[in-house]
Amino acid sequence: MLLDVLQAAEAGGFTLIQDTVKCSGRGILKCFINAALKRGEDVHVLGFEASETEVCAGLDNSCVQKLYFHKGFPDPLGWMCRSSFTVDQLTSQHITKLIKDAQHAKASVLVIDSLSFVLRHHDPVVICQRLQELRKGGDIKMIISLLHSDLHLQGVVGIVSHLASTVISVAPANYEHHTVAMTTRRTKSGKVMQEEEYFSVSEDATLSVQAKSRQSGHVQKEQDVAEADPTTNLTFNLRLSEEERKAKEKVALPFVFSQEKKSALLRPTPGSGRIVYEPDASDDFDEEDPDDDLDV
Amino acid sequence: MFPELNSILNSTPDSLKSSDFILVSDRQADASFLIHHYLSFYLRAGCKVCFLGLVQSFSHYSAVGQRLGVSLTQAREKGQLVFLEGLKDSIGALLQEESSQGTQPLSYLRSPAAGLKGLFRFVESSVRQNGGRDDGESWGPPVLLIDDLSVLLSLGVTVGAILDFTLYCQATVCSELQGNMVILVRCEEEDADDDEEGSNLLQRGLVHQCNLALHVEGLPTGYCRDIHGQMEVWWRQSGETMYNQRKIFHFKVYDKGASFFARGTSSAVL
Repeated sequence: MLLDVLQAAEAGGFTLIQDTVKCSGRGILKCFINAALKRGEDVHVLGFEASETEVCAGLDNSCVQKLYFHKGFPDPLGWMCRSSFTVDQLTSQHITKLIKDAQHAKASVLVIDSLSFVLRHHDPVVICQRLQELRKGGDIKMIISLLHSDLHLQGVVGIVSHLASTVISVAPANYEHHTVAMTTRRTKSGKVMQEEEYFSVSEDATLSVQAKSRQSGHVQKEQDVAEADPTTNLTFNLRLSEEERKAKEKVALPFVFSQEKKSALLRPTPGSGRIVYEPDASDDFDEEDPDDDLDV
Repeated sequence: MFPELNSILNSTPDSLKSSDFILVSDRQADASFLIHHYLSFYLRAGCKVCFLGLVQSFSHYSAVGQRLGVSLTQAREKGQLVFLEGLKDSIGALLQEESSQGTQPLSYLRSPAAGLKGLFRFVESSVRQNGGRDDGESWGPPVLLIDDLSVLLSLGVTVGAILDFTLYCQATVCSELQGNMVILVRCEEEDADDDEEGSNLLQRGLVHQCNLALHVEGLPTGYCRDIHGQMEVWWRQSGETMYNQRKIFHFKVYDKGASFFARGTSSAVL
């Protein structure tokens, strides 16, 4: 499914790539940029955390003219007064103007690297509203962004993931040099599809999916040796015969309150002790049984 | 300078890697011996060093530096070392009469919410200074050392402001000037509500940005007289490939150095 998302050309999509310290998602982001460039689309990159050379390294040289890198990186907050794009300028009017200035009326792809930086400086709700405006605006075909999910509260990550039509979470796999991507895709009809795949990114920013992982959540090493039966080869007997098993099942467990025990307890036995209680003046003696409402 | 650490990290004063952002962190241990290592390493390599010493006095580093074979006083006089003594200058910053420019290096002491722009300006100006050596040559690529960054959290600076500061430093020192950066961060015990603003969040944010992360902890099995702790080396390649490599070494700190060895090969064991 990862390759489908990479090549898909649906309009109004928002793809979110989530990564953690254990595994960086920039490789996949670069694959997305490369795929969009190869399709002939304009790619506008809002770079806040990585430099232009880093983002453009390995991309196809013939299509690099269609890549517009809006330099947030050396100065994303305007401290040095020499940035061309600050984080405050991420508004729908400004972005639409930037895209129209690029003079190509074709579909544009907006890449945000990274959304974590933006969320550090602006309210998540405001950012989600702006992203939604950009999606519905019509000038942008697709928005792709990177989010470091371990740097935000879970709620914030959840808000942004809900907005996205596709969420790709990358994580390291059990054995070295492999990374796992869990792709969750929500179609327009509301159907949600999920898939987990091993993938790798090559030097020239192409994605190759190795194999589909097994049941998600179970990444076990192959057990070559079948589990041995531990009750064989012992000097004592651990097995039960039929009668022994029946007798075991008949045993009444001590703390289980079964019907027989209850009736045995409630039956008054002759000669048992009786408790005589004389309340004195300051005692608040309530005749009601406090356990009356218990259904035992 | 610890020769064994140099061979583990594959770098010597003569063959430096440039544009490196090295993060040194610790959890319930003391990783400041690595800061002393890097200080002597870069001074020996002839680099221009800007050191933000926020937690100890200059004489402390100078005394340890002498044991490792470098003289910090001489380096400072020659102009190779720019030292911001946080402890001594903080009194002056707090007692200043006029509410002067917010661009003073320690302006975060008076208004922590305003961020670390002043500190960054100090770093930028000291790193861009072109003062040459006595023999006419210029110093090597600039190096920024910070000891330690997590103390700013307890002074009221937010994690976001610190991460912005390190991003700007990385942009200037590593990307633009091809220099190196070494930052020490001290983390607290992992809590259940780990999403809260704190040193763990700061450490994760810095690991995302860095090239090499050295994490020092005590041994998981407890105290040992012969092994002072374990150090995890995490090589993170920025951007292209996602294949990181992590290795754990044990170390023992001596009076004049530290020795590093693979797990299980301590001299007390073999």
